[in-house]
Amino acid sequence: MQDTYITGGAMTPFGRHSGVLAPELAQQAILKALDDAGVAPGDIQAIYCANVLGGMILGQLIVRDVGFDGIPVYNVENACASGATAVHLARHALFAQQYDTVLVFGIEQLTALGGGTIPMQRNDHKTELYATAGMVLPAVYAMRGTRFLHERDARPADLAAVAVKNRRHGALNEFAQQRTETTVEEVLASRMIADPLTLLQCCPSQVDGAAAVVLSSRRPSRARPVKVLSSVVVSGIRERADDDILDAEITARAARQAYEQAGLGPDDVDVVELHDAFTIAELLYYEALGLAPHGDAVALLKSGATQLGGRVPVNPSGGLLAKGHPLGATGVAQMVEVMWHLQGRAGARQVEGASIGLTQCTGGGIAGVDHAASSVHLLGV
Amino acid sequence: MSPQPYPLWNSEPQPVLLASRDRGTDEWVFPAVPDASPLAVRHQTVPVRGIGVVYSFTVIHPSPKSGLAPYALGYVDFPGPVRIFGRLQGKDRPAIGDRYFPRPDENFGYVFEAVAA
Repeated sequence: MQDTYITGGAMTPFGRHSGVLAPELAQQAILKALDDAGVAPGDIQAIYCANVLGGMILGQLIVRDVGFDGIPVYNVENACASGATAVHLARHALFAQQYDTVLVFGIEQLTALGGGTIPMQRNDHKTELYATAGMVLPAVYAMRGTRFLHERDARPADLAAVAVKNRRHGALNEFAQQRTETTVEEVLASRMIADPLTLLQCCPSQVDGAAAVVLSSRRPSRARPVKVLSSVVVSGIRERADDDILDAEITARAARQAYEQAGLGPDDVDVVELHDAFTIAELLYYEALGLAPHGDAVALLKSGATQLGGRVPVNPSGGLLAKGHPLGATGVAQMVEVMWHLQGRAGARQVEGASIGLTQCTGGGIAGVDHAASSVHLLGV
Repeated sequence: MSPQPYPLWNSEPQPVLLASRDRGTDEWVFPAVPDASPLAVRHQTVPVRGIGVVYSFTVIHPSPKSGLAPYALGYVDFPGPVRIFGRLQGKDRPAIGDRYFPRPDENFGYVFEAVAA
């Protein structure tokens, strides 16, 4: 099987981009990614646009004036896993030798929605019934949090500590929306949203952003070229009556496949960008990704292993909690972040000596499954 | 709540929530599969009897601007087995292991009411 390289990447700052339309926002990331890869629009043979709520043919709208001259544009939607799914599909096309160099970008403009939680996909009887009763993603994660505190003899402060860590990381990241540190006391004192999750334990819902990468089957000439070692997308299995909502089954399954595909294990990973849409999610994913044994997520966090300077820093970008979560852009931005770390370009938040990185994101929004989609990628130099 | 294309309650004097049982696997799903579904032939409509036990819950605190009061939501496990999500009423703050029973509700179709201690 031939190799796939991320030959360049870029992202916009995540935050409020008031009055900026989709083309202007996404083109910032696209042009910088092309420049970073050392290619021109004419070198790109296909484009994958990841987006959730921006409407039809968004990709074509965004690239119309850039000069790609009518090449195929594929619009990809897989909820919060859209960006990672777009990379996954682009890699398929490279493997099939349909193309040798493609552009993948993700974009979302959540400020246009006016805030609040992301709506559920209600075109289904079960989801419609449950959403009518009040099911929203914060509630789903909050119930995981409640069960976690019950089963693991953990405290709300253990959840809050995730936000403290990631806000500390985000303070070092010029692309992050939240750039101030916080404390456990501040996190717990912030407004209760869905018990036990307070406001500062939920990723910001008022955020816009875009990210882009160039993928190629041609080895780039730059030092430390980043290779996609594995790429996995899986879908949720219908929940059963006795499901353990703490086992993050879909992500554990995606991670097992990704490690197997790459011939690596959790101990090989130097840096992780994972889907901390809520604090409890990061703790569950420590275990699902094999970073901690079952039941040891809080111990791993308290050990300092997942903070910058630790054994395996998690979310050095600040994660979704600090960087923000513009849905379609998130999966691509995670890969840009890991690429920077693997190439020693991450500035003040650099994970020293990183050679293997993992990205993980999940897409939710329907009832009856753990998540609709989960994607894990392993990148390496 | 708008009419549903599937039976939510049966017609007994004390109505019982309805689910579907997969004829092949015996797995229960809630709500019941609509008669018009291509999957209906694989399922049998079954009543969800008995008292449920809270598996997990949350209390939602709406934005102060909404003026809405906090409300509890949870997963409740019933004999079948089948796990059903819904509103938890009758206690300000539920607890895991609490017992609840379903009752009809015009806004949500059903809610779970705490069993008196």
